[in-house]
Amino acid sequence: MLKKIFPPTIHLSITFVWLVVSLYMIFLYAPQEATMGEAQRIFYIHFSVACTSLLAFFFVFLGSMGYLIKRSRRSDDFAYASAEVGFLYCCAVLITGPLWAKPAWGIWWTWDPRLTSTFILWLLYIAYLMLRSYVTNPGRVEVLSAVFGILGSVDAVIDYMAIRWWRTQHPQPVIAGGPGSGLDPRMWLTVFTTWGAFLCLFFYLLRQRMTMTQNQRQLVQLRRELAS
Amino acid sequence: MVNPYLFAAFSVVWAIFVVYVWILSRRQAQLQKELEELRRRLHEQASSGARPPQS
Repeated sequence: MLKKIFPPTIHLSITFVWLVVSLYMIFLYAPQEATMGEAQRIFYIHFSVACTSLLAFFFVFLGSMGYLIKRSRRSDDFAYASAEVGFLYCCAVLITGPLWAKPAWGIWWTWDPRLTSTFILWLLYIAYLMLRSYVTNPGRVEVLSAVFGILGSVDAVIDYMAIRWWRTQHPQPVIAGGPGSGLDPRMWLTVFTTWGAFLCLFFYLLRQRMTMTQNQRQLVQLRRELAS
Repeated sequence: MVNPYLFAAFSVVWAIFVVYVWILSRRQAQLQKELEELRRRLHEQASSGARPPQS
């Protein structure tokens, strides 16, 4: 249905244009930050991939709940695809974070609550994907990974709340961060445009990954039919 | 002179996503090819099985 209304090629083209627009805004539209200078522009990309990686684990949680409640294959596919694409985003977070931290704080890494919980989230993504690959028993793998996905989402909540609950080396929230938080209006626009572009890319990758899982299942079914 | 941290961050992130899109589309194309091949073989098997016995 979605394939007919919004074909993947159109989706990819829109994503590409959106990403180019966000690059223009990051480098030419957004003003330079007074203290960090050019390196602050990493923030736009870091923020976008970080928010999307958290959202991806929320989707893992939703898909896992959906599978356990309704035993729907589509929910399981959704959770699996979200985990794979989310892992990619989490890798991008852990690469852009230290590249921003070094010029801003003078160090690549520190074990503060936000950074540690993000690192744990990355390990959880790996564990989830390993579970999917190594447990091959059909029916069992879906249940095990759904339970793991639900339990793992606790870390995603801690990761989100870490800068609100504790005083951390990581900057305090710019969205819903209370008095004193916030950005220049042109920076805000750049933040939301970049986040939108990365979200659009996320949904493109998600639907492609889900289609691939469905095709793999169809392939197994056809092989069985051919053998019988 | 481009800030090296900025350059590294943007190039690595773009590289990650470009490589993943490429891997995904390659795997998808391969799967599609295999699916078509299996459908063709199934069709052949069905049509040969349905043929009336020759007297």
